[in-house]
Parts: sequence; structure tokens; C-alpha cells
Amino acid sequence: MSKDSLAQPADVLRPRHVGAPIKRTEDPRLLTGNGEYTADRKPDRPLHIAFRRSEQPHARIVRIDTAAAQTAPGVVAVLTAEDVADDFKPVIPFSRMANYYATPTLPLASGKVRYVGEAIVAVIATSRYLAEDAVELIEIEFEPLGAVSRSETAVAVDAPLLHEEAGTNVLIAREFRKGDVEADLKGAAVRVGGRFEMTRKAPLAMEPRSYTAEYDARRGAITLYTSSNIPGIVRDAISESLGLPGSRLRVVAPDVGGSFGSKGSLYPEELLICIAARKLGRSLKWTADRLEDVSSSSQAFAEIVDAEMGFDANGIAIALQADVLGDVGAYSIYPWTCGLEPVQVVSFLPGPYKIRSYRGAVRGVATCKPPTGPYRGVGRPISTFVTERLMDLGAKALGLDPIEIRRRNLVRAGEFPYRIASGIIWDKTGFVECLDAAGEAAGYEKLRVRQAEARKDGRLFGIGIASYAELTGIGSRIAVAPGMPINTGSETAKISIDSTGAITAAFGVASHGQGLETTLAQIIADDLGASFEDIRVIQGDSDAVPMSTGTYASRSAVLGGGAAKRASALLRDKIKRVASYLLEANHDDIELSGGKATVIGTDRAVTFRQVAKAVYSDMKTLPAEAREELSASYTYDPINGTTAAATHIVAVEVDPATCFVKIHKYVVAEDCGQIINPMIVDGQVHGGVAQGIGAALFEELVYDEDAQLLSASLVDYMIPSAPDIPDMDVVHIESQSAVAGGFRGMGEGGTIGAPAAIANAIADALSPYDIDVNLLPMNPQRIFGLIEQAKLKAKENPK
Amino acid sequence: MKPARFEYIPPTTLEAAVAALAAANGEGKILAGGQSLLPLLNFRMARPAVLVDLNGMKELSFIELRGENVAIGALTRHREIEHSPLIASRLPVMSAAIRHVAHLAIRNRGTIGGSLSHADPAAELPMMAMFYGASLTVQGPAGRRTIAAKDFFVDALTNCLEPEDIVVEIEFPILQHDGWAFEEVARRFGDFALASIAVSIRRGQFGVGEARVAVMGVADTPLRLEHVEQRLCEIAVDGRTPDRFAEMVTSSVSPNSDVHASAEYRKHLLGELAKRAMQTVLAVKG
Ligand SMILES: Cc1cc2nc3c(=O)[nH]c(=O)nc-3n(C[C@H](O)[C@H](O)[C@H](O)COP(=O)(O)OP(=O)(O)OC[C@H]3O[C@@H](n4cnc5c(N)ncnc54)[C@H](O)[C@@H]3O)c2cc1C
Repeated sequence: MSKDSLAQPADVLRPRHVGAPIKRTEDPRLLTGNGEYTADRKPDRPLHIAFRRSEQPHARIVRIDTAAAQTAPGVVAVLTAEDVADDFKPVIPFSRMANYYATPTLPLASGKVRYVGEAIVAVIATSRYLAEDAVELIEIEFEPLGAVSRSETAVAVDAPLLHEEAGTNVLIAREFRKGDVEADLKGAAVRVGGRFEMTRKAPLAMEPRSYTAEYDARRGAITLYTSSNIPGIVRDAISESLGLPGSRLRVVAPDVGGSFGSKGSLYPEELLICIAARKLGRSLKWTADRLEDVSSSSQAFAEIVDAEMGFDANGIAIALQADVLGDVGAYSIYPWTCGLEPVQVVSFLPGPYKIRSYRGAVRGVATCKPPTGPYRGVGRPISTFVTERLMDLGAKALGLDPIEIRRRNLVRAGEFPYRIASGIIWDKTGFVECLDAAGEAAGYEKLRVRQAEARKDGRLFGIGIASYAELTGIGSRIAVAPGMPINTGSETAKISIDSTGAITAAFGVASHGQGLETTLAQIIADDLGASFEDIRVIQGDSDAVPMSTGTYASRSAVLGGGAAKRASALLRDKIKRVASYLLEANHDDIELSGGKATVIGTDRAVTFRQVAKAVYSDMKTLPAEAREELSASYTYDPINGTTAAATHIVAVEVDPATCFVKIHKYVVAEDCGQIINPMIVDGQVHGGVAQGIGAALFEELVYDEDAQLLSASLVDYMIPSAPDIPDMDVVHIESQSAVAGGFRGMGEGGTIGAPAAIANAIADALSPYDIDVNLLPMNPQRIFGLIEQAKLKAKENPK
Repeated sequence: MKPARFEYIPPTTLEAAVAALAAANGEGKILAGGQSLLPLLNFRMARPAVLVDLNGMKELSFIELRGENVAIGALTRHREIEHSPLIASRLPVMSAAIRHVAHLAIRNRGTIGGSLSHADPAAELPMMAMFYGASLTVQGPAGRRTIAAKDFFVDALTNCLEPEDIVVEIEFPILQHDGWAFEEVARRFGDFALASIAVSIRRGQFGVGEARVAVMGVADTPLRLEHVEQRLCEIAVDGRTPDRFAEMVTSSVSPNSDVHASAEYRKHLLGELAKRAMQTVLAVKG
């Protein structure tokens, strides 16, 4: 008996949508300029906001004179913190973490400013031009309080305090411990370590942050259109802060032009625009210009890690310790807190490895910079950078190949679920499989031969590897941010069929470029037996979708996808019940496919449209009790969530003349479980790696000693451009995860693996000079400096 | 990021344009391709009261052979220079350099008059003006006058013009050479240069007879290195010439440090480019 004849005939014949490279249904509208972004909203006679922002890094606000601005042409209102003091309650990024100080989120700086770019005054006028003209007329007297520009100086005893009430600039401190690290390090055959740093980075979405508050005078209601990936959280926070019930506060995230984390927190401007709309009874618009976006949206990384790893003589990593100093900026961001990024660094440092003992300590310190917040990969780009550098240093010290040392230390197939030394539990994932597949796809042995030849010619050719694992789609057992009271563990899908047979699937998970409209519809098409074209996915509108915390932390395919599957199953049953009446057949003999209910093995069928008609528009065909609304909703909680993993292999060459890094080859082998849409998965990997290349080679927010931003425009803040991104080979290890559908989250991995892999490749390329790569981005000027230093050293101590 | 209020005047004759600038009392600015000016307006780093738009004057857009010179109208777009067969055959170094200017969309709009007037220290066309020893024809209230490129560039983003002056055209003397090279390093394709060098030589009886050397990105203005040109004619040409040349070039500049490159790194780059350029130049048979 062949295997196929065992399967249900329907399973064999039915075209599967999950797994198919279906073109994104959102693209035609986005690519033809027919998308609707927040700034495209055209409310009735809107007013425009321009902000007077601080040019001071840290100063007391002594006096604000807005008299001239108030009478400037077109100006309707000028608001300071004092003017709106009674209009809201501060929003507190609460957490149960010990040693954490929650700074309140306020709409405008009150009493003092804490970073250059912080909004102090809002000018509201009939056009943005006039508003900006009036901003220039505002006079503010400051009393400077001393800039705190670096985390190392922020922790000094005599450092000026950003939040006096906290009594310290250390806003969060934590330590993880397992086993006896000191003893294990002492007993180690080889110890490697160093001080590693990833500088500050901007998430830099193509669409800057944008808000439109539409005021409905009839109901005293506000609709906030926001370029947010967490519209549900924004709605609840503003509702609470302004005392406006959800019935009078609708929040909509329409088309959103990317986020990468920068639109994943509540912002002062979001609060202010709602406060002002209510105060003035008018609709308001604000879109950040690029300068505002770079200098006031949440930023990423900014951590220094002192780390050490011990290996036994067989190359088994036995102990790891790390002290992380995170420069979290001026405020703790809502709702994630300032612990989000630095605490995750210590959580993920042991990576996919079976390290026996661990000590990871972290401090997040306030500096005069915009707050850090979520950024694609959160914590893991730097934890992976550090751990993978240590692995390579260990391999070098032990004379092992970098692939071999990883193979000896990775959690293997039989060992899952595995709890690593920081406490994170990895579920069954193809760690070793990714490593092997990447090595094979890269032609690793041949690459090493090519490297040896290049070296003979004096060329600086290097190969870098990075393996990592991440938690994705986490459920209610783990908080996305430590100690945070928000429910990040479940998501709801509500699927209904209307009287025309059209299917609407409402999801709380928002989309800001991931293609969820397509992938969620693919899942529903299969599980409901619907025709793909009949399904409309709606997201991001608090009036139309179930409550949700949004899209972040690689959760939406897992949580939204799981909810879609379960809700589809419920609705499927309802359709079958009606169809069994209409077809006079047994419920179990009916199968749904392509928008039709068919009696198995016959040509007797009814379309979903006929089913809908019978339910909604016809009194005769069905008895009243069978005319159930064709709608189902399900709230899915994956409890622990799942793991995703990958290995990146990259070959680079450093040009000794220009010190530029050229990427010759880039391979990713990743395990994202059951693939929903391979084109979208590849796109996410490509985009993530491109951002990782930015982090590794280009992007840096440079703040000087006075905490002034020196790279605030795209001339000075360098992102990679198309010629800087190589072709990539992506290999998929589709090992089914334990959650519904077997999916794993995969939108962040590219950014996690690339910086580490490239750092290792550069270090390998520069090994003739014996250079350590422990700071990113490794831009040409830094490589030049390192080579010069190495040459000098060689001259001083000739071998 | 919106510009401050300004009055917009689109004159159709040069005289009217000069008059409009004169009437603005030093508060006027010319708008050519707008690729450098508009960002400055949006940042409110420039806030002219009057903007005089040259784009209506098609007669300012031309490339023509004029005796021993190529004359280029001030409103000629970078893209036209890039695709001009006349430039390719008579000013090949410029033809090579223009490809490094920004991106296609910017080259479609940016003009040579705008680029020279903007006087960015890392821009290719000002460097070419220095390299070729170009002369700029300028129209002011008192009529036309000619300014040599070496007198035109005063400082970073500063030229020697009065507020009511308009660059009308630029004449580039055609250089005779047996070999030439243009080398540039920019961080990304289309970015302003971190360092760049242009070299051409005529062979003499012994070694180099005549030389031209210009650099940019390493000082507040593009530089022609006349003493290096002279030294080149005095030394023997051999395998060591590229290295010696690089040494001569780097020792005659003292660049600044900024977020993109330290002074040392810029100097290093310039040296590498100089070496590469000289290797190319000498490889060409005279
Ligand atoms: C992203 C980007 C990258 C770029 N990269 C490069 C690069 O790599 N290399 C490079 O060389 N350039 C680069 N540029 C600049 C570009 O070449 C500009 O086009 C050029 O510098 C200015 O030309 P414009 O015609 O646009 O002048 P405008 O912006 O219109 O004017 C510039 C200035 O010149 C004045 N002006 C204009 N015309 C005249 C005239 N006829 N007489 C007197 N004054 C005049 C204006 O008043 C203004 O002060 C770049 C620009 C951008 C936006």
C-alpha cells in the first residue's frame, strides 16, 4: 500500500497555501502608491503640530516665553508641560523587577530636559510651515545641569543625576547565576575574554513616526491614527492616561512603513496629540521629519560587555561570565522598560550552548540620549556577537576549527527541551542541523582552501560563523519584557463569513511590513477550506479587531497563526453543520475546500456563498436554530512559545588600501519551523541580514562628550545601500515546532546573526595582524586604526 | 523641516535675474538644481528672502567646443556632462569624475554652476575646475567678468562671489596628456568623496615633461598641487615613482577629522589613491 492511499483524498488533492510562495497581497496597493499611511489621512481642517525641542542635553527649564509664538500668523495654540498638566496622568512603565526605577512618560518635558531632541513646547497652527515659523519665536532659558554622555561616566559617583528621585543613574540592575563560575574558570584549560561593545544604532524605518488625531465633536471622541506596531497597547495607555473610555478612543494603525522596533513603544507625541485634540476640539496632524525621527525615536544597542569564557581541553565551554553596561538613555520606555534590551543580553549570552556555569550581571544606566527600546533582535545581536567572538577565540586558543568547536557545544537533537545556564528553555530546534547545512551550502572546506590561497597572495580574506538561538512566539509563561504586567502571551483571531460569502479575518496583531495579510490568509485558506481570494485580513483598528498587544518579538506568525488555525477549525464546524442540512449528508462526510463544501466522493457541493445565503438571507431553507452566525473567534496562547535558530557563514575580504570590507559570500541556514510563505521568509532573512550588515559595518549614532548627536542626518548616519548588500543563500531546515502549525518566529534572526558572523570574518581576515574585533560597527576608519596599531606593535616587538 | 518664508522669482533673462538679486539687498539666492540648496533651506541653515530661479533660462545650458577650450553653461546638468561625447573626448578626466557625483536622480537635476558655487570641498566638479585651470564667467550688476578657478574657491562652502553675481558659464582648457587617472574613495556608491586625486602627465625627453595633480576631500577647498607637479618633472621615472609620488602628495596636505574619517585615515587613503593613479598613468604608453 502506498503511503498516499492512507491519506485523506482531500489532503492529496487540495492545493495547499501554507508553504507556497504566494505573492504578497498587500504589495500591489503599496507599490502603486495606493497604500494609506497615517500622514495620508485627511481629516476636516486639521491643524499641524511642530515641536520646539531641546538643544540642551541636561538642563533645568528656568523660563519659557511663548508670547511671540502665540501671536504669530496661523498659530492656534502653544502648549507647554504646564498648560497640559491637568489633562492626563503620567504613563508609568511598570515592572516587578527588583532594582528598577520606572521613569514616567510625559507628553512634554516638565521642569527639566534630559536629552537633545526632547520635546518641550508644542506649537499648533494651520500649517506645518507656520508652526515651524512660530517655533523659532519661542525663548527658553535653561540652567545647564551637566551632560552625561557615556554609560561609564554615568555610573561615576559624582555624575549628575538625570532622575534625582531615583538617587542613581542606574535605572536597572540584575544578576543571573548558575553553578560555580569562579571555580570552573579556574579549572578551565583555556580562558578567553575581552571587552565588547556595540554602539548606538537607529532603527530607521522608511516612514518616520506619524500621528493623526481626528476629533469627533458629536461624541467627544478621538480616533488616533498612528504609525505604531502596538496600537492596542497605545490605545489602552492613552485611554488610561486621558481618562477616555475605549468607546471614545479608537486607535488605528493603518499601513505602516516599517518599524524595526522604533514604533513599538508609546511616545510623548502620541499622548500630546490626543491631549491637544481634546483640549482644542480639533483634528491634529504630526509627522516626524527625518531629524526628529533619528533624534527622538527609540534607539538600539549601546552596550559594553566585559566577558570571559572557559573551555576544557576538549573544547567544551564550561563557564561564562559577563558584566553588561547598557546605556539606556534618558527614560525607561513604555511598556517595555529600560530593562528590555540590556537584560535580554544577559538572558541570551549562553546562546545555543550547553555551558555549565554562568554569571551575567547587567546595569542599565541613564544618559542624556533618547531612550533605547525594542530593536529587531533585542539584546541578541550583541549577546550573539559576544558569545560567538568568544567561541572563535576559544577555537583559536585550542587549535580547533570554528565549526568544530560549535558542534561540540551546541545542544543536540536528543537533548531538547534544554534549559541553558541563564534559565531559558530551548524547545526542539535544528541547532546542529543549521550548522551543518550552512557549512555545506557555503562550501566551507573549499572556502578555507580559497582563504589559504588568498593569504599566500597577501590578501586579507576571512571566514566568519555565527550560530544563535532565540525565543519566538512566546506565550503566557514568559513575559516579553522582564516583570512587565502586560499580557503578551495570547492573541485572538475572529473570522466571519458575511451574507455575500466573503470572509473577514480580524487580528489584533498589526502589520508593518511583514506580509501578515498574506500569510494569515494562507493559513485560513487551508484550515477553513476557503478560497484565498475571498479572505480579507484586517488588522490594527481597535474598533474592528480583538484586543491585542501588537506585533513584536517574532510573535505574530506563531500567536496570530495559531489563533487563525483554531478559529478556522471552529468556523469550519459551523459551515459543515449548515452544509450537512443543505446537502442532506452526514457532517463527517463533508469536506471543505476552495470555498466549497462537498460530499466526499461525489460532485454534490454548495459554495460558502450559498451556505451564507441560507444562514443570513433566507427564512425557509434552514430551521431557526441552524441559522447560527458564521463567525468564530479563538484566543491562542502557546504557553512557552518556541525557539528559532540559524547559522550564518560569511566570507569577507578587507582591502588593505581602503580598509573597506567586501562580502564575497553570505549563507544563512535557518530553522523557522513550518514555512508559511518561502518568499516572505527569504525576504525577512535578506532584510534582517541587510540590517545586520548595517550594524556590523556602517550604522552608528555618534554622540559627543556634550551628548550632542553628530550623525543626525542620513549624510552622516550611514546605512548600507543596495550595492553594499551581497547575494545571499538561504537554506531552510523546516523542523516542526511544538506550537500550533509547527511555526516558529523568524523576522528578527537576520539582524541577530549577521553582526557576529561579520565580526568573526573580519577578525579572521585580520588574523595575520593578530587583531581582535570587539567593537561594532567595524567601519573602514576603525579597521585602519587597528591595522596601524598592530603594525606599530609589531615594530616595537619584532618576533 | 520646512523652509522659512521666501519670495520666488523666475526671471527669463540674466539681466532680470541680476536685477532681482540686487534688489534683494544681499538676501537673495539663486536656485539652480536645488540639490544642495533645498536641504539647506529645509534645515533653515539658509534663509534667503528671495529665491531667483535660473531654470527658465535654457540658454545657460550647453556644452560646446570653443577653440582650445570646452565651454559649459552654468545650468548644464551633471547628467548631460556624463553623456557628452565632447566631454568624453576632450575632457576625459572630467568624464571619469562626473560618474562619481551622487546618484542618478541627483545628477538629473544638479548643475555645474550650482556645484561650483556651492563649493563643497569633497565635490568632483570644483576639483575638476582646479585640475583643468578653468575660468568662470560671472555676470554682476557691472556686467561680465572672468574669475580663475583658483581664485573662486575661498573656503569650505564659500566662493568669492558677491550676492548679486551669477555664474554664467565655465571654460575648461583642453589638456594634452599621454596618460591620466582619476581615483576616488567614497564610503558608499554616490557619496561625497573621503579622498580623491586626478593626475595627468605628458612625457618629456627624460621622464615626465608636464604634470597636473589635483586632490579633494583633504582640505577646505579642492587643491591643485603645483609643487608636486613640478617635482614630478624633476625626478627619474622608475618603479619607485608611484610610492614617491604618494609621499609627495600626502606630505602636502593636512586634512581634518570628522565623523566619517580621521585625518590620518584620509591621508592614508589619499596616499593609496595617489600610488594607484601614478601606476595607471605610467602604464599608458606615450
Ligand atoms: C544625496 C546627495 C549626494 C550628493 N553627492 C554628491 C557627490 O558625490 N559629489 C558632488 O559633487 N555633489 C554631490 N551632491 C551635490 C549635487 O552635485 C548638487 O547638485 C550640487 O552640489 C549643486 O548643484 P545644484 O544645481 O543642485 O545647485 P543648487 O542646490 O540649486 O544651488 C547650490 C548653491 O549654489 C548657488 N548657485 C547655483 N547656481 C548658481 C549660479 N549659476 N551662480 C551662482 N550661484 C549659484 C545657489 O544659490 C546655492 O547657494 C549630492 C547631493 C545630494 C543631495
